[in-house]
Amino acid sequence: MRLSLYVPGNSWVHRLDPLTKLIMAVVAVILVFVLPGYWASAALLAVSLGVLASGGVLRRSVPVFLGVSLIAITFFVVQGLVYPGNQHPALTLGPVTFYQEGLLLGLKLSLRLYNILAATLVLILLTNPSDLVESLVRRGVPSRFGYVVVAVLQMIPNMAATTGTIMDAQRSRGMETEGSLWTRMRAFIPLMGPLVTSSLIATEERALALEVRGFSGNRKPTFLHEEVIPPYAWAVRALYLAALILAIAGRWIG
Amino acid sequence: MVSRRYSPWALRFTTLTIVLIPVAVGINYIGKLFASALKLPLWLDSIGTVLSGMLAGPWIGAISGAVNNIVFGITADPISFWYLVTSIAIGLVVGYLAFTGWINTFGRAVVLGFVVALVAAVVSTPLNVILWEGTTGNVWGDALYTALMAKGWPVWLASFLDELVVDVPDKLATVVISWLIYRALPKRLVGLFSGRNEVESL
Repeated sequence: MRLSLYVPGNSWVHRLDPLTKLIMAVVAVILVFVLPGYWASAALLAVSLGVLASGGVLRRSVPVFLGVSLIAITFFVVQGLVYPGNQHPALTLGPVTFYQEGLLLGLKLSLRLYNILAATLVLILLTNPSDLVESLVRRGVPSRFGYVVVAVLQMIPNMAATTGTIMDAQRSRGMETEGSLWTRMRAFIPLMGPLVTSSLIATEERALALEVRGFSGNRKPTFLHEEVIPPYAWAVRALYLAALILAIAGRWIG
Repeated sequence: MVSRRYSPWALRFTTLTIVLIPVAVGINYIGKLFASALKLPLWLDSIGTVLSGMLAGPWIGAISGAVNNIVFGITADPISFWYLVTSIAIGLVVGYLAFTGWINTFGRAVVLGFVVALVAAVVSTPLNVILWEGTTGNVWGDALYTALMAKGWPVWLASFLDELVVDVPDKLATVVISWLIYRALPKRLVGLFSGRNEVESL
């Protein structure tokens, strides 16, 4: 079991340094809110999907997109029915009427949702999270923060692996994990308690181990890996920042 | 007499409390995992944030909340990044109230649960309105939103109630469960994190 959805590979997006990919994601997310109209949003979505496709992860992003489709459907239903600006009925199904303005707003919100998702998937699917953390620590983010994030990434799979053991252990002692809502609610504490207590007790040991290795030292740490920034990364950064400036300038004038 | 060490806002940045942060995020995740394994209609995904606030005060609570949403934002669920502020607020509120005596009895812990739910809803509502015009993506909450909007209620109020109906049961259960676990923890451990331990410190 892994927490991260990162897909290792060797495409041009994989070879970009993490900071460039962070810039790509942040710029694309800002553009979602800066670009006006449906066509610009659709074009942005196409660009983000193009990046994902060229990184070879388009298929891996489908489950993520499907996962939020219920939210997108809610946008259409809720806004189509009750958006305060609704005036022109678009279609009537039995007793309910969907309005044109609300449905268009639903489209806008769905585009926004998928745009944010597609933009951040560049980071999620194509960037190794610990590389991203390392690259940020290199640029002045406190190394303790770096430790915290990397520790989460390592700890969660271990903790998740013990959940099965705890569940089996408590079941074998007669704990009900099925049945009424109250029964299932009550089962939560005997499941959660041992895990929380044992992991909190383990923190003391881990803190000691870190102390012994100079965790609270004030020396500047060095890095295990050399950072490689491919030459085209600068072009990508320039392209994205130029798009951002153009879009903001266009918004200002338009 | 209240010394600086006992102030709720004291910075408890020791190696031990820093190690507590990733554990808190892990507990958040496991809470969500167990909740879905038991098919509970709640998320229960902030038990770790609440516990770290109870154990080590508002700052560590807030950082645990922030790291939680940052990590899930860059690994699995990009939308969680936007609700960073909500998690920070939960950590701050729990940490402050825990250190001013609001976890001493069960009754007070219930009150704390309602306060946390209220704070979470107040902080999340502007995000919901700005990002999604008020809906939360939760079917029950959005059904209420639709009903209220149909009656002509203002967007902000409908959106706040949409978030609140979802948050009250979830955050109340989260705080009560965290409190039950907190009470059962070895006293030595509790003292170690809060810096109130007279004998041992790291």
